Amino acid sequence: MRRRVRRAAALAAAVVLGASACASGTGGGDDDTVTLWVRDYQKAIMGTLADEFNATHDTQVEVTLVPATSFVQKLGTAVAAYQGPDIASLDLVFAPYFASAGVLADVTDRVDALPYADDLSPAHLDQVTYEGRTYGVPFTGDVSVMFYNKTLFAEAGLDPEAPPATWAEVQRAAEAVAALGDGTNGFVFSGACGGCNIFSLTPLVWASGGDVLNADGTEALLDSDEVGGALQLYRDLYDAGTMPELVRTDAGPNAASAFQSGTVGMRFDGTAFMSTLVSDGSVDFGVAPIPGEDGGSASFAGGDVLSVMTGADNPDGAWEFLQWATDRDAQQVLADHAILPVRMDLLDEIYVPQDPRFAVFADALSVGHVPYSIVENELFNDNNGVWAGLVQDAVFGPGGVADAQAAAQEDAQAILDKAND
Amino acid sequence: MTAPVTAPPAPGGVALPRRRRRRATLARRRTRLGVLMVLPAVVMLGLFFLWPLTQTVRMSFYDWPMLGEHTWVGLENYADALTDSDFLAAVGFTLRYTLIATPLLFAVALVLALLVRGGTRAARAFQTIWFIPVVIGMAAASYLWMYLFQPDLGPASALGERAGLLDASQNYFATFTSALVIVLAMVTWKVVGLQMLLLSSGLQSIPVEVTEAARIDGAGRWQAFRHITLPLLRPTLALVLVFSVAGSLLAFDQFFIMTAGGPSNSTITAVFQTYRTSFIQFELGAGAAMSVLLMVVLAAVSALQMLLLRNTDNA
Repeated sequence: MRRRVRRAAALAAAVVLGASACASGTGGGDDDTVTLWVRDYQKAIMGTLADEFNATHDTQVEVTLVPATSFVQKLGTAVAAYQGPDIASLDLVFAPYFASAGVLADVTDRVDALPYADDLSPAHLDQVTYEGRTYGVPFTGDVSVMFYNKTLFAEAGLDPEAPPATWAEVQRAAEAVAALGDGTNGFVFSGACGGCNIFSLTPLVWASGGDVLNADGTEALLDSDEVGGALQLYRDLYDAGTMPELVRTDAGPNAASAFQSGTVGMRFDGTAFMSTLVSDGSVDFGVAPIPGEDGGSASFAGGDVLSVMTGADNPDGAWEFLQWATDRDAQQVLADHAILPVRMDLLDEIYVPQDPRFAVFADALSVGHVPYSIVENELFNDNNGVWAGLVQDAVFGPGGVADAQAAAQEDAQAILDKAND
Repeated sequence: MTAPVTAPPAPGGVALPRRRRRRATLARRRTRLGVLMVLPAVVMLGLFFLWPLTQTVRMSFYDWPMLGEHTWVGLENYADALTDSDFLAAVGFTLRYTLIATPLLFAVALVLALLVRGGTRAARAFQTIWFIPVVIGMAAASYLWMYLFQPDLGPASALGERAGLLDASQNYFATFTSALVIVLAMVTWKVVGLQMLLLSSGLQSIPVEVTEAARIDGAGRWQAFRHITLPLLRPTLALVLVFSVAGSLLAFDQFFIMTAGGPSNSTITAVFQTYRTSFIQFELGAGAAMSVLLMVVLAAVSALQMLLLRNTDNA
C-alpha cells in the first residue's frame, strides 16, 4: 500500500516536472547550434538557406516555423519568458517595437564593419534603427507595385505597354476595363484589411509627396491632403462601379483570387503575388510602379529583417548566420527563388536579369518607404483599428473622406501620444 | 500532495475490536483508492485551469505589456474596461447575439429531437446527418460559409439567385443584419446537432408509460408535451441551455473569420475585443481584466440559469 501511494506521488511529481521541463526546453542544446524563428510560409526558402549554411559552417542553424498570424504574439510571449530563439526573422514593421522593448541585440558595430554596409536596403535599415543604434540586418525584400491585366487592357482599347502613370490615368483605365461588362472590374483591393492597405495604398500617398506618419513616428498625418486624395481616388473608383462588391469586406485572400481569375484590370500587391501569377500562368500581366497623383512613384519596402535576440545563448553564432544571410551566396539563393534580395549593389547582377518585370521591383526597393512606429500593429495592421477604419469609412462610408480623416487623425494621435510618453 | 500514508496508532493504545478495525482499514483503503483515482484529474485541473486562472487574475491587477516591466495598478484595468466604449460595445453585441442565438438553437434542436424520436432507421440516419457538422472545427466551418456567400464567387449566393432569393453580386457581409443572419445560419448548422443529440437522449429517458397514461387520461398531444415531456426534460434542458449560453457568450472564431468584426466594427464580440487588447495592442494586463470580467458574467448567468431551472422544478 505504502509503496503504491509513493509510486503514485512520484508519478504525479513526474507529470508536473515533465510539464515544466517541456516549457523550458526550447533553448538550443549545443554550443554550436543557433535557433531561428521564422513565419511558416517561408518554410521552403528558409529550409534551403539553413541547409546551405549548415553544409558550410560549424555553427548549425535550427529553424522553427511559427504560424504567420500569431508570430509576433508567440515571439513576444516566448521572449518574455526567456524561451525565445537566438535569431528572429521579423516582418520589418515590427522591428521598432521589439527594439524599443529591449529584446533585440545591438549590432551597430558589426553592421558598420560589413564591407557592404552602405549597400543594404535603406528602408530596411531605417526599421532596424532605434534611437540611433542598429538592431538587425535586412534579409528579404517584398515591395508593392501595380499589377495590370494586359489582355483586358487591350480589349478595353488601352495600350498594354503603357500602364497608368497618374491617378487620372488609373481612374480612366479602371473605368474602361469595367465598361467591358461581362463581370469584369477595373480595380480590386482588400477593403477590410489594415496590413494590406498600408502596403498597397500608402504608396499613392508617398508618391504624391505625403505621408501617414512623420519621420520619427510621433505624429499622425492621416488628415493630410495626400492621404485624403488617395482615399478619394479609391472612393471614386468604387462609386464609378469599377470594383467588385467583395472589396468592402475582404480581409485579404479574395481580392487576390479575383485578379487571378482574369476578370480584374488592376491591383496593387507585392513581389510574392508575381510568383503566384507566374506559377498559375493564366493571366497575361504587366508590372508597373504605383504612381503619384501627377506622376512619380513610390512603394512600400517590406520584407524581413534578421535580429539577434538579447537573450541569445550563442550571439556570435547568431551573428555568423546574419552575416552569411546578407552576403552574396545567400542573397543569390533568394534571387534564384524569385525573392527580392536586399543588397542594392547585387540586384542588377543576380536578380533583374531573370525577368524584365523584376526591374520594376528592384527600382521600387530603392524608392521604398515604411512608416516607422513602435505601435505599427495597433495603428495599421489591426483589421479593426484606426487605419482599417479610415479606409472603410472614407471609401465606403456614408460620410465624406474628410470626416473619416478627421476622426482617424484624432484616434491615431491619441495612440501615438500614449505610446511615446 | 503526499497524504499520511499509514494510520497513526490508536491513541492510548486502546485495542479496538478486530472486526471494526478491519472495516476501518477497508474504508480508509477505499478512500485512498478514491484519492488516487481522482489525482490525475486534480493535477490536470490544477495545471491547466487553476494555475492559468490565478495567473490571469494576478495579471489583471498589473499594467502588463507583452514585453517589458509590469507594474501594479490595482483595479485600474477594471475601471478602464468598464469605461472603454469599445469593450462595452463588444459586450453589448455579445449579449444581443446570445439572446438571439440561444432560443434559435434551442428551438431548432428541440424540433429536430422530436422528429428523430421514432428510432426508425430513417430517424437514425437523419440524426447522423444533423450531427456531422458538429465534428467540423468552428474555424473550418466559418471559412467554408464565408466562401459560400462571397459575392460573385460563392456557390450559395449563386444558388440563392437562381432560386430568386439572393443577389449573387451583393455583399451580404457588408451590412450588419445580413452578416449576422449568415453567421447565425452557420452556427445553427454547426452546433445544433449536439443539442439535438442531448435533447433526444433526454427524451428517451422519459418512460413511455407516463406519456401513455396521460394520453389514456385524455391528454392531447400538446398537453402531454407541455405537462409531461417538458417538465421531465428539465435536467437536460438545463444542461443544453447552460452549454448554449456559455458558447454564445464566448463566441469568437465565427466573427473573427466570417465578418472580421465588420461592418464598421459592429460584430466584435467580448472575446474578440479581449484578443485585440492582448495580442494587437499587447496590453496583457488590460486583456486579463476583460477576461476576468467576462468570466464573472458567465458564471453569474450560468448560476442564474441553474437556479431558475431548479426552482421551477420544485414548484
